[in-house]
Amino acid sequence: MAHEFNMKLTPQEEWSWLLAVDLFLGGMGGGLFLLFLIFNLSPSIAVLSLGLVALGAVVLMVELGRPLRAWRALCKPFSSWISRGVIFVTLFIVFGALYSAPAFDSLSWLAPGSDTARRTIGVVAGISALFVTLYPGFVLAASPSIPFWNSPLLPVLFSFHSLMVASGLIFLIAPLGLESADLRSISFLGGILIVVNFVLGAMYLATSKGSGLASKEAVRRLNEGSLGWTFKVGVILVGMIVPLAVVLWTPSAMALAGLFILIGGLLFRYCVLKAGVYVPFPLT
Amino acid sequence: MATSEKAVASKNGKAPRWGMAIDLKRCVGCQSCTLACKAENGTPPGIFWMRVLEKEEGSYPQARKVFLPIRCNHCSEPPCVPVCPTGASYKRKRDNLVLINQDKCIGCRACVVACPYQVRFIAEDSKGYYGEELTPYEAESYKKWQPRTVQKCTFCVDRLETGREPACVQTCPTRALVFGNLNDLESEICKLVRQRAHFQPRAELGTDPSLYYLT
Repeated sequence: MAHEFNMKLTPQEEWSWLLAVDLFLGGMGGGLFLLFLIFNLSPSIAVLSLGLVALGAVVLMVELGRPLRAWRALCKPFSSWISRGVIFVTLFIVFGALYSAPAFDSLSWLAPGSDTARRTIGVVAGISALFVTLYPGFVLAASPSIPFWNSPLLPVLFSFHSLMVASGLIFLIAPLGLESADLRSISFLGGILIVVNFVLGAMYLATSKGSGLASKEAVRRLNEGSLGWTFKVGVILVGMIVPLAVVLWTPSAMALAGLFILIGGLLFRYCVLKAGVYVPFPLT
Repeated sequence: MATSEKAVASKNGKAPRWGMAIDLKRCVGCQSCTLACKAENGTPPGIFWMRVLEKEEGSYPQARKVFLPIRCNHCSEPPCVPVCPTGASYKRKRDNLVLINQDKCIGCRACVVACPYQVRFIAEDSKGYYGEELTPYEAESYKKWQPRTVQKCTFCVDRLETGREPACVQTCPTRALVFGNLNDLESEICKLVRQRAHFQPRAELGTDPSLYYLT
C-alpha cells in the first residue's frame, strides 16, 4: 500500500499475481469459447472454456477481502466495470452451459425446442464471451490514477491477447484429438493473432511512453530490472517470438508453442498489472 | 467554528460542501495532523488517513524541504465512487462527503487503485501496534472499521455532526489547515481561496477535489 512519506513515483501494489491469474483464466476461457463458435469445435472445448472462466471467478473470490459478500458486485452495472464483468461472466456461464450441454447425451433434455432458440442462446453466450475477454481492460482503463492503464487500447489488447492465449491452449491440447483441418486453420489464426498482438502491444507502449511521467515510468519498468526481464523474455520472446517461429517453421512442435503462449499470456497480464505507476503528487 | 450541517445549510440553502485549504507556506511538516488523525480515528499500524509528504529540493547551500499534507480530497467527481461494484463507496448528498459503507465493501481494491491521491487503505487484519492483543484504546477504536475492507479519511464525520472541526485542523499548530464550507461564499475557506494563489491537486483529472493548496 502507498504509505510513503516521501514524494516519489509509486507503483501500484494492490493487484498482483492472483488478479493476473484471474485475468488469464477468464480471458483464455472467453477466447476459447469464441474459437469454439468460430471453428465449430468439439463441445468439450466449450466445457473447458466454461470451466476456465468459472475457475477464474473462484480465483477472483480468493483475491477479495470479503469473498462472502461477492454477490454485491452485481449491484452497480451502470457505473462499475467490475460489476459489468461479473454480469458478463454469469451470463456466459449460464448461456454457454445451455448452448453446449445438449451435445452430451445425458443432458440432451436441455436442448431448446427450436433452432432459433438455440441460435439465440449461442449469440448471447458468444457476446458474453467477447465481453469476458474485453472487460478486464476496461476495469484497468477506468483508473485515472494510473495513466499507463488509462488507455482505450488496453481493452482491445486484452481481448486479442485472450484469443491468442486460447489458440495456444488449443495447440497444447490438439494431440488429444483435434481434427487436423481445424488445427491448421487455428494455427493460421494463431500466427496472425501473435503478429496482431505484437503490433498492438508496440502501439500501446509507444503511446504510453508519451503520456506523461507515470506512463513513461511504467514503460521504463517494463524495460529494466526484474520486471523488464519478465516482460522481454517471458512475454515477448517466450510468449510470442518462439511460438510464431514454431507455427511458421516447425508445426510438429505445436504443443510446445501452445505451452509457451500460455506462459507468455500469464506473464503479460502480470507485467501490465505490475507496471502500473500512480500519477505523481503535484510537487514531484 | 460551527460546522454542524444545520448551521451552515441555513446560510444559503445549499447543502454544505466540506473542504479544506492547506497553506503550504505555513506547513512545517511537524506531522501533528498525522498523529491527531491516528489518535482520533484509531487507524491500525501502517495506515495513515492523513500524512505529510516531504521532498528535498535544491542543493547545498540552498537545499530545503517542501511539505505536502495529503488526505482524501472528498472530490466532487470522485473516481473511486463509479468504479466501486457494490456502492460501498458513495458521495453523501447532504454534505458532499465521500464515505464508505464498510458493510457493503467486498475488498476488491478497485477504489484504492482508482484514487489518484493514494489515500484509500485496506487493513489486512486487526492487529494492534503491540501485536495480536489490542490495547483498551485500540479495542475501542477498531470497532469503527472492518479488516479487509477499505477505509479512508472521513473529514472526522462524527466530529462534524457535533459541530466540531476535524481533529487534524484543530491540532495544526501553525494553522496551516483551514476547514469549511465551500458552498458558503462568506466562509473563511472561500475567502482564502479567493484571495490567495492556489491549486487543486491533479485537477486536470477532472476530479474537482474539495481541497485547495494555498501557495
